[in-house]
Amino acid sequence: MGRLVARRLAAMIAVLLGLAVIVFILQAVIPADPVRAMVGASAPPQIVAAERHKLGYDQPLPIRFVDYMERLASGNLETSLRTRNPVASDLATFAPATLELALTAAAIAAVVGIGLGLALAAGGRIARIIRVVLISGASLPTFLTALLLIVVLYSKLHLLSASGRIDPTISAPGGPTKLLLLDSLLHGDLKAFWSAFTHILMPAFALALLPALAIGRTLATSCEQVLREDYVRTARAKGLREYRVLLKHTLRNASGPALTMSGLQFGMLLGGIVVVEQIFAWPGLGTYLDQSIAYADFPAITGTTLLLGVAYVLLNFVVDLAQAWADPRIRTV
Amino acid sequence: MQLRYPFRAGSRPALALVAVAAAAAMVGWGSGSNASGAATGGTAAAGGDILRIPYLGDMSVPDPDIFYDIEGNNVILSTYEGLVTYAPGTSHIVGDLATSWSESPNRLTYTFKLRPGVHFHDGSALTAKAVVASFKRRLAVNQAPAYMLKPVASMLTPNRLTLVIKLKHPVYPFLDYLASSWGPKVIGPAALVTHAGTDHGETYLRTHDDGTGPFELTQFARGRQYVLTRYPGYWGPKPFFKEVLISIMPDIGTQQLELQNGGIDAILHSFPAADLGSLPSNVKVDEFPSYLRLLLYVNTHKAPFDNPAVRASLRSAINIQQLVSEAYSGTGTPSTGAYPPGLLPDQPALPYAANHAKAAAGAKLASTKDITLGFTADESGVQRRVGELLQAALSAAGWHVGVKEVQLPQVYNYVNNLKAAPDLLLQTNTPDAANPDTWARIVFYSSGGLNFFGFKDPKVDHLLDTAVSAPPATATNLYKQVGDEVIKQNEIFFLGDIKNVFVLNKDLTGVEQVPAYPWTVNLADLKRTGG
Repeated sequence: MGRLVARRLAAMIAVLLGLAVIVFILQAVIPADPVRAMVGASAPPQIVAAERHKLGYDQPLPIRFVDYMERLASGNLETSLRTRNPVASDLATFAPATLELALTAAAIAAVVGIGLGLALAAGGRIARIIRVVLISGASLPTFLTALLLIVVLYSKLHLLSASGRIDPTISAPGGPTKLLLLDSLLHGDLKAFWSAFTHILMPAFALALLPALAIGRTLATSCEQVLREDYVRTARAKGLREYRVLLKHTLRNASGPALTMSGLQFGMLLGGIVVVEQIFAWPGLGTYLDQSIAYADFPAITGTTLLLGVAYVLLNFVVDLAQAWADPRIRTV
Repeated sequence: MQLRYPFRAGSRPALALVAVAAAAAMVGWGSGSNASGAATGGTAAAGGDILRIPYLGDMSVPDPDIFYDIEGNNVILSTYEGLVTYAPGTSHIVGDLATSWSESPNRLTYTFKLRPGVHFHDGSALTAKAVVASFKRRLAVNQAPAYMLKPVASMLTPNRLTLVIKLKHPVYPFLDYLASSWGPKVIGPAALVTHAGTDHGETYLRTHDDGTGPFELTQFARGRQYVLTRYPGYWGPKPFFKEVLISIMPDIGTQQLELQNGGIDAILHSFPAADLGSLPSNVKVDEFPSYLRLLLYVNTHKAPFDNPAVRASLRSAINIQQLVSEAYSGTGTPSTGAYPPGLLPDQPALPYAANHAKAAAGAKLASTKDITLGFTADESGVQRRVGELLQAALSAAGWHVGVKEVQLPQVYNYVNNLKAAPDLLLQTNTPDAANPDTWARIVFYSSGGLNFFGFKDPKVDHLLDTAVSAPPATATNLYKQVGDEVIKQNEIFFLGDIKNVFVLNKDLTGVEQVPAYPWTVNLADLKRTGG
């Protein structure tokens, strides 16, 4: 296990280094003028030049690269050209919303995915219906799912909210985790909890749908293979009920491929966050990144990219650990 | 001022358009649905003395000496005030924090009498010294809006409520600078002294205000919401709304649904023109003239438009009446001159006349017929639509036109490598103030900020340099000559003048607007009927 952790840490450093270099190269080759974007197009040339000098954008590329890497190595993510705040502070503002959305979506994806997978593996008429749902659902792009949810659950049925994290007239609990669902419970503020809950359901479900379907399909296939194993036959011969066979003797052994798929899907879920946050006016990293791109706010883009890179690596690390739990042979590899 | 459509990443236009179109169709936009069902799970309906409006993206910062965008004008103009402003619906300058002013015959000295009984949001009283401190702070911060005060030689305060500003040279648009939405605002001592820190209070003013306006900025939650709260000590009429909640909603489709369902009270810009004809029964449209203009920039630094005869043929290829009518559905009018309407009286007319034979003849002269048309995307999709219409018109004349979406930071960089820039570029711009100089200097001057394709005419530069210090009558004539010269060169085409379109709940009244303040309503004048 120790070796696994060490390998993952080394991989994370390599990924971050690679990301940092790629982001810098992109900054250098993209024909954009972030300083003009920052000060405004109509700004007089003298002010643009002064700002360019202040930010070091008039330095030769190699010097900028060395400065950039030195700053990153010391944990300095620079200052956003748009918000004028330290990027680290902006990330601390926006990341909790994304984390809460991603965790909720991951939980929904896991529960729905496992449910679908087991239902499919159990066979019967319900399985056939679910198979149709899986196929048709997998062809729905995330933004369309989001839109359908808004139209039905917000516009038609008035059940859920379509924008933001919480009703603007309710004061959001101020911490300690910055995750509104958790914080409102910790503060015993049920009104805030209910508002946050009704706000997060649609975006989380929109994000979770495709991963859930993929996890469900993979788990079902894996379960079907395991169900053909001798020890399962033995279990059935002992007279165990089918659901016990499925839950006690099949699920854990079939979970390896589903966990691998979860890692991939949760990574893709991070990619879908930008679109979902836009549609649901969710004040997270996706919104921050989108706004930063429009300004060519390279420090903000770099910071967000690196943070998402760390999240992706950590996520896969967690999946590795889960796989090691599910299959002890992996721990010794 | 460049119209910066807030926050578009490259992949989003299609999404936004599909979202808007699909949502509108599926919900029955225009089916007469009402707002009664607005109290959806957790979202209270708009109403009462709280006003809810959306922004498509965050404003940069709520600091009047740094802010230089359009999204955010409502916050700045509701929390801060300048010495003068524009009367509603006009370009007529009236007093704001100044009750009167005079200009010396040599136009170098301006004397302002300040309004008594005005208090900053920190409770301290407005004085001439506070104005001087504010203006000095703008120069010290030295961001884009600082240029408006660069000609100031000195500022004197002969008494508590009198301010004398002396200029280094006469500046024709100086009073317009002071009235501009990006013009110098007066900031109180809480920001400039108590919380000045080492950065002239920049850190403090990123999340607070200390102006004299009718509202205080009581919450600035970036990415989520800004809250403006009625300032009880305001010197003017008490605003109807005790609170204004500005939510960040990056998708216009979401905004439309929220408006229809009563979650917000108004959409102040980027409402898709095509949807204006089928609004639900609970909303109305108020349209006002603005100085927003749609321009077509021509890249003369490479073939084919380096040939004057070829670019002259564009006059015949584009039917601006048809183009504006089809793209803007009545929310724009074809341009009639080089300056926004109302900025310069009797300006020279545009000699554009669609003529297929002439357009085709011009295209035949071109060394290459393959051209690229760039446009920056906007949430309403209108610039994309204009691009497609232009593509059709030019194709009919024999051009092979590729249309591509570009990002604003790319556009800013074109001037550094014009060979790699598109052949044509669509942009919507607005002047900083209601003065011809504030338009001509940024669009026509060789180093102008919105001169994206490096238009350079020494005669134009000279005329502008002369005009800025000339007496008003002379200046007006010089700006007309500039317009004539620019039209003659065919390097910038003036296509349409765009209205400010506000889509609001029907119970909102008192919508007041100034043409020079795009996307902005005076929040203090708004009322809710029955409230």
